[in-house]
Amino acid sequence: MKHNKFVYSLLLFSVLIHESCYYDKAELLYPNAAYCDTLAPSSYSQKVVPILGNNCYSCHSGSAPAGNVAMGTYAKDKVIGLNGRLYGSISHAAGYSPMPKSGTKLSDCEISTVKRWIDASCPNN
Amino acid sequence: MLVFFTGYNTLCAQDLDSLMDENSPSKEYVKNAFKSTRVINGHSMEFLRSGTMDFRILHRFGLMNQGAKNFFGLDQASMRMGFDFGITNNLMLGVGRSTYKKELDGFIKYAPLRQSTGPKSFPLTITFVGGATINTLPWDDPTRENFFSSRVAYYGQVIIGRKFSPAFTLQLSPTIVHNNLVPFIDQPNDVYSLGLGGRYKFSKRMALMVDYFFIANGLQKDINFNPLSVGIDIETGGHVFQLHFSNTTGMNERAFITETTNRWGKGEIRFGFNLSRVFQIAHKKNK
Repeated sequence: MKHNKFVYSLLLFSVLIHESCYYDKAELLYPNAAYCDTLAPSSYSQKVVPILGNNCYSCHSGSAPAGNVAMGTYAKDKVIGLNGRLYGSISHAAGYSPMPKSGTKLSDCEISTVKRWIDASCPNN
Repeated sequence: MLVFFTGYNTLCAQDLDSLMDENSPSKEYVKNAFKSTRVINGHSMEFLRSGTMDFRILHRFGLMNQGAKNFFGLDQASMRMGFDFGITNNLMLGVGRSTYKKELDGFIKYAPLRQSTGPKSFPLTITFVGGATINTLPWDDPTRENFFSSRVAYYGQVIIGRKFSPAFTLQLSPTIVHNNLVPFIDQPNDVYSLGLGGRYKFSKRMALMVDYFFIANGLQKDINFNPLSVGIDIETGGHVFQLHFSNTTGMNERAFITETTNRWGKGEIRFGFNLSRVFQIAHKKNK
């Protein structure tokens, strides 16, 4: 009897889960968002700058950038992109200061976007 | 003399045999394959006794390779608090909340078949686990239309385990984790993995634990890595302490299986500490 009750509950649970089970992709739900696009190369101006702007420029720009790491223009971003410091920090790799400093690591999507820009030799696109 | 003794022994053996028939061994379920209902991160094949509640506090600290400036990661603590309830000796459920992504989680766990000795013995314990997680962080962009379903993920698992000896237990757990929302068009919502959990008890109260999941598909192999945790269980009366090292941050199935971005090979490991205390909350006759 106890087993039957459990089986029925499990069936009900499975039905409920099935009704709430979605296969959503953010790129399709929010096509106008400045979101990650794995099918195209990462555009510096359209994809990378919004990520760096939201997470980095507030501390790393101006005349006295934090940690003496200057960002905020294509030339400056390209320097740390090519020398490995940008990816090292945002991916929290060993030997690099993990960034953003607040402790919240960028999403896999954002890190992947920046990495693809770096892998393409940091084009000004 | 020899003949007499041989004959006498045979007679005695026959008497013992008839005694054995009267008190024939009954089926006994194998207990304490693991000391806790979790190996380290993942569920173990073990259950709570009926009418008990397990209060669990899990800690996972920052990366140890940050060195002394962050006290080897101890300055950055992530925590999961959970309450597990034993309904019957082979049915339990639990709820918890992790500070990582402020995620709530719940699960139900049932073993239709348990390892037993005696007549009609069965060599394995087979356990089904089903659970869900809900991310309760504020929306990234509150101005767009956000869906509650996007916060939710589910997991299902079958644990097949055997206590080979009082000192050694091994279990396999094929697992599926389903995320309702993933970022990329070409990213699957389902992640399939195979868990491997083991315990080697090397003293009366201490055991070596290994908890590993092999990600079969569903994740980018250069961004997400297989979660591996290694540790020691120390049992003292009603408490179980687990000290371990892991490359994972998360402490629920969705987080530690699909969001492990650190690698043992690069020295990106974290120290963790789990504490579990079982309370008797209902007095039922244990069968």
